[in-house]
Amino acid sequence: MSVAAAGVAKTPARGIATLAKPAEWQLALPLALAYAAFFLVPLLLLLAVSAFEDEKITVLGFANWRKFFGDPFYWKVTFDTVKLGFLTVIATTLIGYPIALVYLGSSPRWQRVILFIVILPLLTSVVVRTFAWIVILGREGVINQTVMWLGISPAPLRLLQTEVGLVMALTQIEMPLLLLPLLSVMSRMDPNLRDASAALGASKWRTLFKVTLPLSLPGLIAGCMLVFASSTTAFISQFVIGGNRLVYLPLLIWQQSLVVYNWPLASVAALTLLVSVSLGVVLIATLGRRSKGYVHA
Amino acid sequence: MLGDILPNKPSSKGGQVPTRSADPSISVRGHTVDLDAVTHRYGTLTAVADVSLTVRAGEIVALLGPSGCGKTTLLRLVAGFLRQSAGSVRIDGKPIDALPANQRNVGIVFQNYALFPHMTVADNIAYGLQAHGRPRDDVRKTVERFLEVVRLGEFRDRLPRQLSGGQQQRVALARALAVEPTVLLLDEPFSALDKSLRLDMQIEIKRLQRQFGLTAILVTHDQDEAMSIADRIAVMNQGRVEQFDTPINVYDRPATLFVTGFIGTTNLLRGKTLHSSNGTTTIALDAGVQLAIASERHFAPGTPILLSARPEQLHLYGEASADRWPVRRRFALPIGPNTMHDLETRDGATLKIVEQRIGAIVDATGEAWCGLRTEARPSLFESSSQP
Amino acid sequence: MTSRPYTRRKFLAASAVVGSGSLVWRPAYAKGSVTAAMYPGTWEEAYRTHVAPALKKAHNVDLGMTPLFAVDQIAKAQAARGTPPFDAFVLDPGPRVTGIERGLFEKFDPKRLTNVGKLPAGAVDEWGVTVAAQVVGIGYNPKKLPRPKGWEDLLKDPWLSRLGMTGFQTTFGTVSIIEIAKRFGGSETNVEPFFTEIKKVLPKVAAIGAPASMPALFQQGQCDVTYTNTQTVDTLKSRGVDIEFVKPESGAVTFFTTVHIAKGSKEIDNAYKYFDTVISTAVQTALMQPPNNFVPVNREVKLSVNLPMANLDEMSKFVRHDWSKINPLRAGWIERFNREVSK
Repeated sequence: MSVAAAGVAKTPARGIATLAKPAEWQLALPLALAYAAFFLVPLLLLLAVSAFEDEKITVLGFANWRKFFGDPFYWKVTFDTVKLGFLTVIATTLIGYPIALVYLGSSPRWQRVILFIVILPLLTSVVVRTFAWIVILGREGVINQTVMWLGISPAPLRLLQTEVGLVMALTQIEMPLLLLPLLSVMSRMDPNLRDASAALGASKWRTLFKVTLPLSLPGLIAGCMLVFASSTTAFISQFVIGGNRLVYLPLLIWQQSLVVYNWPLASVAALTLLVSVSLGVVLIATLGRRSKGYVHA
Repeated sequence: MLGDILPNKPSSKGGQVPTRSADPSISVRGHTVDLDAVTHRYGTLTAVADVSLTVRAGEIVALLGPSGCGKTTLLRLVAGFLRQSAGSVRIDGKPIDALPANQRNVGIVFQNYALFPHMTVADNIAYGLQAHGRPRDDVRKTVERFLEVVRLGEFRDRLPRQLSGGQQQRVALARALAVEPTVLLLDEPFSALDKSLRLDMQIEIKRLQRQFGLTAILVTHDQDEAMSIADRIAVMNQGRVEQFDTPINVYDRPATLFVTGFIGTTNLLRGKTLHSSNGTTTIALDAGVQLAIASERHFAPGTPILLSARPEQLHLYGEASADRWPVRRRFALPIGPNTMHDLETRDGATLKIVEQRIGAIVDATGEAWCGLRTEARPSLFESSSQP
Repeated sequence: MTSRPYTRRKFLAASAVVGSGSLVWRPAYAKGSVTAAMYPGTWEEAYRTHVAPALKKAHNVDLGMTPLFAVDQIAKAQAARGTPPFDAFVLDPGPRVTGIERGLFEKFDPKRLTNVGKLPAGAVDEWGVTVAAQVVGIGYNPKKLPRPKGWEDLLKDPWLSRLGMTGFQTTFGTVSIIEIAKRFGGSETNVEPFFTEIKKVLPKVAAIGAPASMPALFQQGQCDVTYTNTQTVDTLKSRGVDIEFVKPESGAVTFFTTVHIAKGSKEIDNAYKYFDTVISTAVQTALMQPPNNFVPVNREVKLSVNLPMANLDEMSKFVRHDWSKINPLRAGWIERFNREVSK
């Protein structure tokens, strides 16, 4: 980020080089300061608050850390949060990647249509989208009406406040985050590569797994990381669709910080979320790089 | 350079390869390609209109034309990337229209080479062999052989982006040839190379084509490239083949006004026919002269015509004669050992003439007379056929 | 050209006004103004429609509003430490007690309100004044279920398998669960019986949702009975949802929403004027009408037929709770609820 800023700022700097030539790091300074002020300082405050024992933030100590990590329930909540992220990543990938392939094979006009449909959800608020999913997933919702009409199940399925229902909703809600980087990488891919592969005798599947997939991997990884980070922290969707039956770290943070005012415990939960999301993102990146190496070989 | 790129027996070890053809360097079995009334439309736009061509076994045919003439579309139809709207493509007489691209066994080299950027040179060459399900050992040996054929053995573990343009093209060639294609398709293969490399690569392709007895179709907009590399040239314009003939015939006996204008430089002089008999047509040019021109075509007297004469077919004279017409010299440009004269005829047409200087310094301006060289054979076209 | 910098400065000033206006609706040239924290949604709309014009007319004071839930108000005021981002709180009893404990309010003088005599006994104290009541009971769909009699019915079929629940995050949720616990031998400070009972039947409960999603869940038929307040029932009814309010046999629960002056406010006089306007007969009457459906606190207001009482004095018989006892226990209850219901 700062490297890019320095690079951009370099060109105008050359024009006034005779007057004063600021070093590149000086040009990156405003960004660095903003970064420090709006990210690093709050993060340090969060760390500091977590190191108090009482709700009024007066007694230093690690009681809340011990409470949080000494309790299997909180471990389970953390695990569930990360699991939700990975399930959403898998579901968005399974549905999103074929959409990207359709995009790749479409004429420019259809590509614009697909791109518009992909972006469309971003134009409505996440709250509206989430509440719409209550209508879809409910006992008398679209899915249950279809299921019962088809006779798949005599009674309505329980979808709201289940992990399955939440993953379904998040898959739609987070889909643009997967598709935008993926489509961007795919549309830059040389179409001749797929023709070359076919001319060399490769089937559609071989072309997909040996050429298209490895070359779209950077976009897919970027998309998966965004989906993971976004779905694990999607408080509104988690709470509205999952209700109180599904407890994830964002709900804990909200309860502790805004309902019972236990900011130290909320800080511990927030830092746990931050670390587990970061670890998940790193894991996705590593898996992506591994599989890329594997595809190469 | 050329000496060492032409190994006499580059594949003497070919006998070890237990494949369909025991030794490709010996089995010069080319394949024929027939295009039968092929038409392709994109929506309402007709990109290829009723094209029929026969490419003989072991022949290089160039599809030459300006951009948008349909030559690349034609190539993609043969490759199977597109399905023609009408007509048929046959290889060795068998229609391949129903076969998808991956079952046509057609080798293609793209303008940008389209090497797989995430694979090494060796993996790129091995790709088609693996796709054909060749045994691992066979793949390894074939890759080694083709690395040797294109002299890139030491680069086998490099990625395409670590190679020069010429090296990338050689990889693309090796990759296409490794699967022993029936026909090699080349889509503007030299346009991304700088001029000095181009000739080397043209020779290289010619060498490989001869070595493997390949039938090849080359798409290009560069007439020099087409002239030097192709056995026959199909000049295309607006989806049609205007002329399909040897390079010399295309240049010296252009079939249409488009061909004469597209290939080389030419001078067009307006006039009309007087009479036509025994392969000779007498014409009166608006520039003020009567000429007898050898022509297979028979023209009715009084037909408005255009005479097409190449710059090297004309000569400048200091004095008048019955078969010369007056011109005004506007300027002259020295081009190497030649001088190019820019002239204006009486009827306002511009002429370009190339003369060898042979050391003489002539006045570049003033009046002069222009005539056909004795052995010159210009072309005659009805001027209504002007595009 | 010379006027350009001047124009730009004007533009910057204008955009600053626009920018601040989007955060807090605070009129620029008011003779007097007061900024009130306000519950988003129904409250904010109703106060903008009825209170703001009345305040302007009676006292020439402009009302600015910052939309914040009770818990957010406490959090913001606490974080601001002495320079509150608004002049007046609007709070439910739980956060009110927290606010008092943490010293977030100015002392309150009821004598400065002209309308104080119209309020029922106990509606004012040294910290603030009641501006609305909430009556909590059971809402059910009469087309799908028989009428439940009391809180204990919620844990029995046929109601149980159609029950929509929320946890201790909201005031109405907390008091309802306390009432259920009482039916099974618990008390205001002991909800253990509730947890014992709910554990036995948990898989059958139709929905355990976020409080904000409960009206939507009811409307969509995800649940057909839930604990709720009269305001939500009336609002859903007006949208054509089949819902009826039931006053449980043990009595409806009531709690009061109060307003308070933020410690360090510079608009104390205007805050009193704002409070006085809110409790006036005209405003209280207007707020009771649909689509607002507030329960009034002014005895001169003629009560709507929808309300489960004939006059305000009846409300003294409704069940009330001591939040100074509940607050210290609530964190534990919330945690316990998470553990018990998330399986």
